[in-house]
Amino acid sequence: MEVGTAVFAVSCSDTPLTGARALQKQQQLNRFLAEVERRALRIAEIAVRDRDEALDLVQEAMIKLVRNYSERSDDEWTPLFYRILQNGVRDWHRRQAVRNRVMVWFRRKPAEGDDYDPISTAPDPAGRSPDEQLQNSQAMQSLETAVHELPARQREAFMLRTFEGLDVAGTAKAMGCSQGSVKTHYSRAVHTLRDRLEEHGP
Amino acid sequence: MNESDKDFGNKAKATFDASVEELDAATLSRLNRSRHAALAGLQQPARRWSHWAPATGVAAALLIAVVVTQIPSIDDDAVPAAVTDMEILLGEDSIEMLEELEFYSWLTVADLDNDVG
Repeated sequence: MEVGTAVFAVSCSDTPLTGARALQKQQQLNRFLAEVERRALRIAEIAVRDRDEALDLVQEAMIKLVRNYSERSDDEWTPLFYRILQNGVRDWHRRQAVRNRVMVWFRRKPAEGDDYDPISTAPDPAGRSPDEQLQNSQAMQSLETAVHELPARQREAFMLRTFEGLDVAGTAKAMGCSQGSVKTHYSRAVHTLRDRLEEHGP
Repeated sequence: MNESDKDFGNKAKATFDASVEELDAATLSRLNRSRHAALAGLQQPARRWSHWAPATGVAAALLIAVVVTQIPSIDDDAVPAAVTDMEILLGEDSIEMLEELEFYSWLTVADLDNDVG
């Protein structure tokens, strides 16, 4: 359990919502999740470099938010949702490490093609000229690779601040750390990314 | 934060947003299904994971014994790695991992068959 988790104490309820209140809450949550889900998917995908795994992580975060935090005020949902998602990403990396050790035990050599291929999974652009598609695709690939290679906390701070647009306080809640730490991680991330992407964009 | 940092952040945000807009229909459909599946849980009681605790505990203990005692060439950070493994294996996902172990086992046998064939 990460330090600071107590900020968001779990409020599990065994009593299902009923009637108009349930419908209203469901509509609020639906709007919130619909608004955040696509960015959350791309953020998770950059972190784990696999779309299917990212989809699973986002679904798990949705389920946990609905089950455990639906009674919280809606302005708390964004940092809570990303807190759950980031914890899911960290757990995913830990599980991968364990699986790699287990795979050593079974002595299975990874097959060719097991590696993530960013080109084959690149999104299919629409409504742009080929030059624009290529330019944007290359810029995103460069950015995605550089962000993925950041230390985990810097990557989290950068993606939450820049991609999701959370403020420092919201990012601190989502990351379970102080606002000062967020500023430090974010500043280091920006400077590292600028150095690496100086020639290739974005 | 200076102006060039802000400018970089804006460009990165624009690049990211473009990639979000380009998500394909199949992915958007899966997100939509995931959202509705999550919202369906709003009217259901919270799952009691404790019902699975005894079975999960036994299974995790067996797997821990295998991982900790059988994996060869554990290096300098053997103890922290074992502790980390234990934390993960005691988690809710341990059942899923055990199921996957069966698959890996099958895969190993299949690979050996292919090598022989």
